[in-house]
Amino acid sequence: MRMSSNKSQFVAVASIAAELSAVMEVAKEISLAAANAKAIAFRAGEKAKGFQPITDFINELAKETIELVNNINEHALKLYRLTVKEHRMSEACKRFEKVAVSASSAPYAGSLTQSLQQARQRRTDCRRQFSLHVSELLAQLADVMHPARAARVIAANSRIEASQAGEYLQSLQAVAESVDHAAQIIHDKVHKCRSALTMISTGD
Amino acid sequence: MKMTKIYEGAYQWIMYGRDPYKPDNIIDTNQYVVRTDKRCLLIDPGGIELFAPMLAAVLHHAPVDEITDLFASHQDPDIISSLGLWDQALPHAKLHAAGLWEGFLRHFGCESIQYVPIPDNGGVINLGSVELQIVPAHYLHSSANFNIYDPQAKILFSGDIGAALEAPGQPVFVENFDAHVEKMRFFHQRWMPSNQAKRAWIDRVRSLDIEILAPQHGRMFKGDDVKRFLDWFEALQVGIAV
Repeated sequence: MRMSSNKSQFVAVASIAAELSAVMEVAKEISLAAANAKAIAFRAGEKAKGFQPITDFINELAKETIELVNNINEHALKLYRLTVKEHRMSEACKRFEKVAVSASSAPYAGSLTQSLQQARQRRTDCRRQFSLHVSELLAQLADVMHPARAARVIAANSRIEASQAGEYLQSLQAVAESVDHAAQIIHDKVHKCRSALTMISTGD
Repeated sequence: MKMTKIYEGAYQWIMYGRDPYKPDNIIDTNQYVVRTDKRCLLIDPGGIELFAPMLAAVLHHAPVDEITDLFASHQDPDIISSLGLWDQALPHAKLHAAGLWEGFLRHFGCESIQYVPIPDNGGVINLGSVELQIVPAHYLHSSANFNIYDPQAKILFSGDIGAALEAPGQPVFVENFDAHVEKMRFFHQRWMPSNQAKRAWIDRVRSLDIEILAPQHGRMFKGDDVKRFLDWFEALQVGIAV
């Protein structure tokens, strides 16, 4: 993996944070849809008996997504800080190298060697940590895909159960649609995050 | 970068400035160094763009590990936006700057360098064999603003007070005070906000024995020109934008 500290990297890391924030909002919407579905299923009584446990599943999935995204957000923040740090280290190395050339005739030019070596070492450490965090973040993003996929399966089941709910059919079908749509959005946004991260890590 | 020794005794004061490679669109600045036998203080070390030429110039007088202290008169970028780079080069140094600006200056990057907060009433910088006084100059122009006075060398580093805006490559000392006035007038009227602060500073500084008044932009004042500057500044109305 290669990391280049440049403008596109800052933008990519910031855009990941923005996508994750949107995922969080959608997960909260799923949680609301679950509460709404539970109320409808309660009113529908026997007609929506099969729907009731589904609402609990939906709620659990929303909670799980929110928790995962919270963890990922912390990771994304670390990644951003590392990007800033690496940028500073690279700038320091660049300027120290410039000083080494322009001050080559100065009596104390040699005294800069240690600072330059240390800055290079810190830059290398930053890059290594960055690569590590990118790999971990990619794995965590893959984890978020699981509840999103499960939510789509549950949405399909919800449609079947809704079809037996008589006059509550439309309300419950709307819940199923909303869950399905939200899960699709989460899937797309997480996919975008993964693509952005992969681009950074390969230095494209 | 031009280097001018302005005091030589048991230690030295060196002025650095007039960098010919400075980008045209950034303001020219004067940096000062106090070099003792074992230590080195950089006074208003400058902006990011100036870091490399400044460090290269200082290496003619001191090794990196003897650059032990930095001083920032206030928080402006042309004063100290290079801090993040000095932070990498000098992990064991101290930065003497206003306590009021600490949370702001740390935005430039200050993880290794020790931040020594200066209280509003000033203090001292002890370089072992030399002790320099930190003189309050608040609101001239920054709300937390300090000068450095060296009673032995009789030098007052005055920050933006005494600054002039003029074409690149000018001499380092004022040669004709009357001709120099117009290069200072707008700068002081527009950047300095308070006549009250100006009067308080003049009263304080008149009690000091000053041979050289050394600003961060423009030319230094020597001998009688120091008094001429104080008289001129005293009569000047500042804070003209409101």
